[in-house]
Amino acid sequence: MIGLENISAHNGWAMAFVGISIVFSGLILLSFVISQLHRILDLFERWYIIANKNNHKNRKKANKKCGTELPATLTPGKTATPNKTTEEKHSEEIIRNYKMITHRMGEPFSLPKLLDLAEKRGLNRPYSTVNMLIASEDIVSDGNGFFVWKR
Amino acid sequence: MDLLMQFLTNTGFYLADYRHIIMFIAGAVFLYLGAAKNYEPLLLIPIGFGILVGNVPFFKGLGLGIYEENSVLSYLYFGVTTGCYPSIIFLGLGAMTDFTPLLARPKLMLLGAAAQIGIFFTLITALVLGFLPKEAASIAIIGGADGPTSIFLTAKLAPHLIGPVAIAAYSYMALIPVIQPPIMRLLTTRKERLIRMPEGRAVPRKELMIFPGVGVFLCCFLAPASIPLLGTFFFGNFLKECGATERLAKTARTTIIDTATIFLGFTVGASTQGDVFLTAKSVGIFCLGAVAFSIATASGILFAKIMNLFLKEKINPLLGAAGVSAVPGSAREVHLMGQKADPSNYLLMDAMACNSSGVIGSAIAAGVLWSFLI
Repeated sequence: MIGLENISAHNGWAMAFVGISIVFSGLILLSFVISQLHRILDLFERWYIIANKNNHKNRKKANKKCGTELPATLTPGKTATPNKTTEEKHSEEIIRNYKMITHRMGEPFSLPKLLDLAEKRGLNRPYSTVNMLIASEDIVSDGNGFFVWKR
Repeated sequence: MDLLMQFLTNTGFYLADYRHIIMFIAGAVFLYLGAAKNYEPLLLIPIGFGILVGNVPFFKGLGLGIYEENSVLSYLYFGVTTGCYPSIIFLGLGAMTDFTPLLARPKLMLLGAAAQIGIFFTLITALVLGFLPKEAASIAIIGGADGPTSIFLTAKLAPHLIGPVAIAAYSYMALIPVIQPPIMRLLTTRKERLIRMPEGRAVPRKELMIFPGVGVFLCCFLAPASIPLLGTFFFGNFLKECGATERLAKTARTTIIDTATIFLGFTVGASTQGDVFLTAKSVGIFCLGAVAFSIATASGILFAKIMNLFLKEKINPLLGAAGVSAVPGSAREVHLMGQKADPSNYLLMDAMACNSSGVIGSAIAAGVLWSFLI
């Protein structure tokens, strides 16, 4: 069988129409979700910050009742960098840890040695962390096979 | 003397006929295009050499040929017929893909969907020409311009067509620089080619990490038959993005994908034995493959033009041509075409976004066709 008859006999029109509709709806849905992804993440981040603040307030109240005061650095609003997100604080801590190691090594430093020392110090996931530092250009190549801190 | 004569009559020289010679020439052309012209060498060279090896004439019954039981080649070919190699290649592809441009401009994903129109148009055309539905679907998927997806679907629906479909799909992928530019020039004006894409927003790492999960949830739930491809694709991407498994991601995007590509290319090439491959059907598949690929390119471009009617911030319609999933060939071609019109226009990243959405789109289309015809 050939021609339009073959299409009708095998439900070809419906297959083509439903098929392309499914592909379109799948990708439209995916594109809509990823266009909203950053908003959803922002929402979670805000919710997380608010939840943290409430926790601090409750702890402060409880401490007051017990007659003790929270240290200034742990009190919301009195922190040195109140607007920093948890992720930023975390990455600052990572940089601080690795800078401590490279301070002893001197700049420029070799990556294998840095990884070796980081492993010996028991730092968490040194390979992926150093990779992240290179990707974020905190650590940059000096062009001679060694690396230096950018900031 | 009898022994010598018997030996001579069993040699490839004695058993060769015109079909073997034609296939040898085809294999040599693949090797030439890959090695000398640098057209998709990673694919064409294993396939080309596979064609040479697969078409060495031999005495049937010795368990040497790819279609003979318990032969070494048949075991290697098992990964093709079961769809294992395409799945493994998708794992590596996922570990290579950077979704940043796509997440920065999600509307480009629609161009990846539009390019899949070529698949369904060819499905209808193949049915008109008298192919059976399963064969028509296997031929139509060539329009997705994705070799592993084409092989995967054909292995599931029409295993007897794997050779011609795979050869057609990879040939057209290699011939992107020849096929796509005339279509792009024909369907766009110079003014349209000059459109610059604004810089996309910065995409935080968290989004890149969440995307594979969202992708699996939406695409695989919508078309579960695409799990073997998209499941491993998004898994590979998560290995890359999560940061904790860089070693695994590196292995997936280098050693694993290379190994699978070598075996897939070589065995697909070896499966094109002259007596099986040189048929009228194969010629039809090649012609329909060209139609599928051209329609896919054209529909992407035309859809981009339609989108521009409604968008305030216009998109360069050339990007529609990158909606086919030939990564990164078609993105490179779009970029080059854009630069011919304006050397300072940089379209590569946006074209890669369309390319990666094309990969997802064609895998969904394969899943949908498989589930229709299972």
